[in-house]
Amino acid sequence: MSTPAWDEFAELALNRIAASGAEYGDIRVQDSSTEHLQGEDRRIASIRDTRDIGFGVRVLYHGAWGFAASSVLSLEEVPRVADLAIEIAKSSASVAIEKVRLAPEPVHHDRIVTPYRTDPFSVPLEKKTDLLLNTMEVLQSQSGIARSSASLWARRDRKLFVSSEGTHVEFDLLAGQGDCMATALHEGRFASRSFNTPHLRRGYELIEEADFLREAPRVADQAIEKVKASAVDAGQYDLVLDPEHLSLTIHESCGHPSELDRALGYEANYAGTSFLTTEKRGNFHYGSRHVNLVADNTESETLAATGYDDDGVACQKWDIIRHGIFVGYCTNREVAPKIGESRSCGSNRADGWANIPMVRIANIGLEPGEATRDQLIADVKRGIYIEGHGSYSIDQRRYNFQFGGDAFWLIENGRRTHMLRDVIYHGITPEFWTSCDGVADRSFRQRYGFITCGKGQPGQSGWMTHAASPARFRQVQVIRGEGSS
Amino acid sequence: MNVLNGAWPKLTTSDEFRFLSELVITRSSADHTIVRLRDHHTGTTRFANNQVIQNVDARRGSLAVTVAFGGRHGTAATTDFTAGAIQDTLARAERIARISPVDPEYLGPPDPCLIPVRETAKPETMAAGPPKRLEYANEAIGHCRMENIMAAGVVSSSATTVGIAADNGLFCYEPRADARFSLTVQAGDASGWSAAAHRSIDHLRIQERTLAAIAKSKRGRDAYELPSGRYSVILEPAAVAGLWAWLIWSLDAKSYMKGTSPFTGKLGQAIVDERLTLRNVPDHTDLLGEGFTHEGLPSSSSEWIDHGTLKQLAYDRFTAKAQGVKTIPTLEAPALAVEGPPSHSIQDLIKSTERAILVTNFWYIRPVNPHDLTLTGMTRDGTFLVEKGEIVSPIRNFRFHESPLQAFQQLTSWTAPMEAVTSETGKMLVPAMALPHFHFSSVTRF
Repeated sequence: MSTPAWDEFAELALNRIAASGAEYGDIRVQDSSTEHLQGEDRRIASIRDTRDIGFGVRVLYHGAWGFAASSVLSLEEVPRVADLAIEIAKSSASVAIEKVRLAPEPVHHDRIVTPYRTDPFSVPLEKKTDLLLNTMEVLQSQSGIARSSASLWARRDRKLFVSSEGTHVEFDLLAGQGDCMATALHEGRFASRSFNTPHLRRGYELIEEADFLREAPRVADQAIEKVKASAVDAGQYDLVLDPEHLSLTIHESCGHPSELDRALGYEANYAGTSFLTTEKRGNFHYGSRHVNLVADNTESETLAATGYDDDGVACQKWDIIRHGIFVGYCTNREVAPKIGESRSCGSNRADGWANIPMVRIANIGLEPGEATRDQLIADVKRGIYIEGHGSYSIDQRRYNFQFGGDAFWLIENGRRTHMLRDVIYHGITPEFWTSCDGVADRSFRQRYGFITCGKGQPGQSGWMTHAASPARFRQVQVIRGEGSS
Repeated sequence: MNVLNGAWPKLTTSDEFRFLSELVITRSSADHTIVRLRDHHTGTTRFANNQVIQNVDARRGSLAVTVAFGGRHGTAATTDFTAGAIQDTLARAERIARISPVDPEYLGPPDPCLIPVRETAKPETMAAGPPKRLEYANEAIGHCRMENIMAAGVVSSSATTVGIAADNGLFCYEPRADARFSLTVQAGDASGWSAAAHRSIDHLRIQERTLAAIAKSKRGRDAYELPSGRYSVILEPAAVAGLWAWLIWSLDAKSYMKGTSPFTGKLGQAIVDERLTLRNVPDHTDLLGEGFTHEGLPSSSSEWIDHGTLKQLAYDRFTAKAQGVKTIPTLEAPALAVEGPPSHSIQDLIKSTERAILVTNFWYIRPVNPHDLTLTGMTRDGTFLVEKGEIVSPIRNFRFHESPLQAFQQLTSWTAPMEAVTSETGKMLVPAMALPHFHFSSVTRF
């Protein structure tokens, strides 16, 4: 957790901010440890242990922001950086037209600790390297597998957030993930198949429960089947999408458009704006009645469930899409008042001490339905079942998308048959979600996290989790993902 | 002290890096010890809806220590440069290396060699602070306000000192500066875009690029929808760079050798139009050439594609050694050129075109099929129909589905190379080009 020195640093910074006449200020001091083991083709290619320590000071002066940060955490540097943030805020204020007004938030004093059974940083490295080497050995021992990879990742963030309003929150957050992949060669063609644990706020039990050695033979078999599979014929297909695949679809086609800063034009020069413009809230048909997308930053083990965001706002749960109608945004304290909201929903996050927080997608999940996965498939005459992440791309208003996947099976007359390759589907976001006519029940629900969601200038990585049960979409346009199509 | 004047912070100097690296190396018990420095100071003024929305300044110093005992190696890194933290970082790296399995591909640090001295740190950029960035942002916003057009963009500048030192005497150190400007302007439903990156902040040409983006947006009003399909295209430099970036990123030699590369078996063969040549030109004043790589190898001029033929691959040191490649070429300053007389300008390309789609930029380019390098992505911020030598109408954005290895098989016409930079690629010098066939697979509706 934070040290007494961190409190001293925070007090130093906030005293300077108070003396400047600024209406608001905060400081985040953060010490992040990351351990990343990377295996490639039966060897441990790298083991890297990174510590990233520093602080960032944010100041709101006469309605304009200033932010400065430094990796030098000392009694001399903290006031210098605080002064710089103040001066930058003052210069921003000199050209500001519309003043920033923060939505009110109660003062919080709290301490957030990720619960876990086994600290991943306490697990001997020998055990981890053995796991990766054995996994790659199983993958690559299969005839036809040319390449293999496996990795483990864990991160601990110790953080202190203190604001001029009196909020004081300490964090000790943990997250982990692991994956492996096999690449098969056949007649000059190659194809890969992956197995990933989700990124979750859990201890090493996440890796142990995943049981890579049990999964590896299946992964290798499916890579070989995939590379030998026939290419898909372009046309209209019903799609049944698994939760891991849907996590990416939800992220791109619902998560990003629901970020209010994007809808307001803040992100126009980089990641783009949003087709979910503010006049559509409460009346826009985003999907069918089966489509209920709920933001929940309070669900244990998910990446955005950090207790409080980087505005010091408590994590919450709210609707984004209810029975197919767009009803809610992800907000922070700055943009929430712009649409008449009295409180931020707590989705303001930075990717570390060196960056200013901004609106980030919440843990948005597709609410379960009532079918089983087999029932969804049984009602498909000609379709494709898709698992995992593959190619993806979406336009700057999150409207026209294209997705691939990691594995594809042809569905014929209600039964999953053989694998296909080079499946790509594309469409227009609200048309696609309107074609959803069934979601599997809660027993099929799975969660997948993202830690590399890019946004902002300078670019930052956002963290969030998307949960879903398998869902069915009717008559989606599928094309063959190769140059000859 | 006025912290806005660029005097803060003082980045790690060569002498200081030598002191820090020797501190690590002399205390290390490993067979090999390598120390890497990256001390980075950057600031960005970001604007949207014609006003500043974000104004930030950050300094991050980081030191990474890699040690090896035989073929067992490990790396630890820290942002804390105090003696105790550096000692702890070395201890963590040693602890990892001692228990790591032997890596059959491990190679010790490269032998010291002469590193070319390049003008990588323009003083005007190193000294630029928040006032300069705000001045440039205001200039762009001012032009847009006068036209009653909404601007969103960034002005950023950074100063970085980079170093690598090893126990075999290897010592490289280089200050690097970088300045960037990009702008998206919105005129109703239409948008226009322009961007720049340069070692010198004085070379961003804010006014010229802002006016270009404004002109695009004004011309883009009332776009209509064309059906998806195959079209002739005129790709502006940013669009060309977006496609070539993926080609360049796919040149990995290890994948080539293992059969998991789109280029496998094609070294020495024609892969694109025979008039195209790709070189690394690190001394070019408009490119972001460097003195040395992350591994401590000198960056150099090199030829990668010569008259359409693939001549070179991107080697890691192990694969290079295994293949008997003595000098590893670098590709941080790519320049693509076409043999033959170029058109004088993009406007001249348009004038000589019967019918084509003019593409300002692509967005969210991602691989669809790594085997044949089929990519997808969207047109963005300026897509137009050209007929009989003129832009006749803006059109709605297309999604493409195409491999650069197919698209650049045949060129119709081109300009001389120009600076090109996008939000997703590094900087290149590339011509604008007219291509006879390009596959737009779907159309968006805004």
